[in-house]
Amino acid sequence: MPVKIPMEKWAGSVRTVTLGATAADGGTRQHTVTVGGETTLPFLHFEGEIPNRPVVATEIQDRRPDGWSELLMEAWGDRMNDPGDWAKAAEEAGADLIALTFGLTGLDGQPTSAESARLAVRKVLDATGLPVMVSGPGQAEVDNELLVAVAEEGAGERLVLGYCEDRNYRTIVAAALGHGHLVHARTAMDVNLAKQLNILINDMQLPLDRIIMDPTTGALGYGIEYGYSVMERLRLAALQGDSMTQLPMLVTVGEETWKAKESKVGQGVPETWGVWEERAINWEAVTASSLIQSGADIVVVRHPESVKRVHAVIDSMMTANDRGGS
Amino acid sequence: MPHAITFQPAGRTVTVSAGTSLIDAAEQAALEISQPCGSQGRCGRCVVKVESGAVRRRSTLRLTAEDLAAGYALACQTVVQGDAVITIPPQEKARRTLVTDKTAGRVELPFPYVPAVDQPLQAIHVEMEPPSMADQTDDWSRLKRALLPKLDCKTLTISMPMLRRLGGILRQADWRVTAVVETGAWDRAECPARLVNLRPGFSENMLWGVAIDVGTTTVSVYLVDLVSGVVRAQAADYNGQIARGEDVISRIIYATKSKASNPDANRLEMQQLVVETINRLIRTVASEAHVAEVDIDKAVVVGNSTMIHLLLGLDGSTIRLDPYVTAVNQPPILTAEQLGLIINPGGTVDCLPGVASYVGADITAGVLSSRMNDATDLTLFLDVGTNGEMVLGTADWLITCACSAGPAFEGAGVLHGMRATRGAIEEIWVNRNDLEPSYRVIGDVAPQGLCGSALINLLAELFITGVIDKAGNVNADVETPRVRKGEFGPEYLIAAADETAAGVGDIVLTKADIDNLLRAKAAIYAGFDVLATAVGVDLADVSKILIGGNFGKYINVEKAIQIGLLPDADWDKFHFLGNTAVRGAYMALLSQSARSQITGIADMMTYLELSADNTFYDVFTSALFLPHTDWDRFPSVKALFENGSRASEQPAER
Repeated sequence: MPVKIPMEKWAGSVRTVTLGATAADGGTRQHTVTVGGETTLPFLHFEGEIPNRPVVATEIQDRRPDGWSELLMEAWGDRMNDPGDWAKAAEEAGADLIALTFGLTGLDGQPTSAESARLAVRKVLDATGLPVMVSGPGQAEVDNELLVAVAEEGAGERLVLGYCEDRNYRTIVAAALGHGHLVHARTAMDVNLAKQLNILINDMQLPLDRIIMDPTTGALGYGIEYGYSVMERLRLAALQGDSMTQLPMLVTVGEETWKAKESKVGQGVPETWGVWEERAINWEAVTASSLIQSGADIVVVRHPESVKRVHAVIDSMMTANDRGGS
Repeated sequence: MPHAITFQPAGRTVTVSAGTSLIDAAEQAALEISQPCGSQGRCGRCVVKVESGAVRRRSTLRLTAEDLAAGYALACQTVVQGDAVITIPPQEKARRTLVTDKTAGRVELPFPYVPAVDQPLQAIHVEMEPPSMADQTDDWSRLKRALLPKLDCKTLTISMPMLRRLGGILRQADWRVTAVVETGAWDRAECPARLVNLRPGFSENMLWGVAIDVGTTTVSVYLVDLVSGVVRAQAADYNGQIARGEDVISRIIYATKSKASNPDANRLEMQQLVVETINRLIRTVASEAHVAEVDIDKAVVVGNSTMIHLLLGLDGSTIRLDPYVTAVNQPPILTAEQLGLIINPGGTVDCLPGVASYVGADITAGVLSSRMNDATDLTLFLDVGTNGEMVLGTADWLITCACSAGPAFEGAGVLHGMRATRGAIEEIWVNRNDLEPSYRVIGDVAPQGLCGSALINLLAELFITGVIDKAGNVNADVETPRVRKGEFGPEYLIAAADETAAGVGDIVLTKADIDNLLRAKAAIYAGFDVLATAVGVDLADVSKILIGGNFGKYINVEKAIQIGLLPDADWDKFHFLGNTAVRGAYMALLSQSARSQITGIADMMTYLELSADNTFYDVFTSALFLPHTDWDRFPSVKALFENGSRASEQPAER
């Protein structure tokens, strides 16, 4: 007997946001990446449209990072020594996007300067044809200084500049407005806070289709349930027609999971935990795959192997259930 | 074509072209008209009277139909169309005095008062045969024997203080006395009646009572003539416990702390402090009305549950701890002697019933005096204080909750906040063009700080002029020296040290202050929201919003809506009732039926515990925004932003 699958008719949909600009649009990217546009919950192909696949961004830094797991250091090797080279390696490893993050200081211990930020962005833009996201170290004043320079350097490239936060967003939004970029809006895990920041940014006349929201999340075992449900609620609100939540979502999975003990520690842990490297990659890939199920449009990861695994999950989810169900 | 405009009473005439605003014409005549909002037609302070001639009013916001008929116009919104004579009223004539005087308006009788029907206290003249060897009846039985036939009662009781004085008074008065008897009380059936007082001789027809509201910040007392029902004197003063904590929680903590010498010392001290405050106020009202304190035979007391616990010397520690219960919501009837009040020691002290730990007798009494319990349409009652208590409902049902707004609106927790007394800025406007503030100070002296009403005003003004964004961030990009980086981060300068009272220094509003105010207003709005959601009604369907509490009287509705403290309803839905708590106590003092209605109100109220409500936090964070995360709840504020001040510049003929 055929089973009739109940379907929801949603009033709203997620906005479509395009990252990066090709020569035709005043940039130098080989291609752009478009996310969003969903008219249903994740992967319910039988119910609505999922016009754009979730994408995987690979996080790189402006210089060889301190404090990253030795697994990551081994995986990227010497290519981490130069941001352009690292970006190229990430592209080769299958990344859809490059997420460049600045540290507070350079290798010499000196604070990262606007000049060095420009240089790093230039190298990345020259080395890869992928769209690029750029984030400051997360300290308001430093972020503002670096991102204004980055916005100028990458004028017209439709970069994603981060992080806009509720206490510090004006300068970054102004820079995005002035140079044709997008912004990465990050809030603590809360539906209202995410919505409020979108309103504040939009009040500065930056169109909503130039905002990617980052509701923050936790790694597997470290609060992922809470992050998952906040994202799910944001997506439900979007589909119900709340325009200030109808934005694609981004989560920085790599940043979270590589802080987890399970990823960080290779020795002195129970044998049943298994092989360290396998476990660490699983931790990142499982966190990313789970959050894609809650509506993430962009996941930022660190390990090249995670990119492959998350892509495999996305591939299967994009074909798994076809319209009509049974 | 030039027109002649004459300004009275100065008698100056200037010639201006058609279309010139009256403000500009006055300026040309070297006359000053105050315009705190910067000529935007928002504040209504520049009102003038058009005696004759042709003018066109572009906006008449804040003027009633009667004002317009009488010729009033806003000078900033009115332009010349022909010759005219304009009278400028005296500027800044309105001055206010201390907060205690602010409340001292005439109190109307709440209902037609018929003592024989309403009043459980009555004074009865009695004459007895003195005792003799032939009649050795004891004094008390002798009095009862003479008194009972005059009462509709079978028995009579007497308190110990009264009994101690009985024989002396009877003999001193040669067995001719006036007995004050109370029939009925909430905790007794119709009988027995109680002998409350005995006055020698046949005293003239007099009976006195006091209604007392023990507020966390302010204690108010009405002296009531129970013969006519009229309030003969009233007084208010700060609660003496303030020095031991500004809010109820810190008072409970203080009272609960035990000292090695005496574990009850702090609790007793708190009781004594508030009793002293009440007695001081009783002395004040008694002396004003030339009444002896001991001739006051009854006191009806209201207050939040914590205040009542502290007054009665009860352990209030459970009020602040999960699961938040009181020792008692309806305390028993006491005598004045038991509490240490200076009225007749045998006089009745009736503490009215509360509902829960954070919804006390001040609210049940407030519901009665606001007549919400008779409402046919959906009504919202709000009492703003350190806690915001609110009640939603009709005559058929009432639901209540309390949210901890904190003392920000009372001036605490804000760097330059203060209570609404002399020297407090009570009203403030920010000019949209140059972002300069203009303000009014209680007592018309150099300012010392900002009281709650000014804080609401200022937050709204900074928001609509773009000095702060919807999240309350100070916008560093605005071009004014008023916005600067201070010791505590970004701030807005209201008054520089050279214009403030000695020793005050600059008066500023800091980012931290803004955050505190946002939390306070969000807590109150979230309370409305949760109540409405709990019973499935829409706040927009509320037909009346009653606001009690002394502070409530001075809230500017428009500004309170702009910051999202009050729901966005038509201004005529809001009714400011002043101190509803003391008026409820007054009603209960006058009438037995009002007293039992309060019991009924307390019984019928459903209490919603917000800390047990899992939607509260969500609702709270969505209210933690100006005016609210959901713009559509505040259409008037949204319209203000979408049209900007341009709306008032459009011709608005009427």
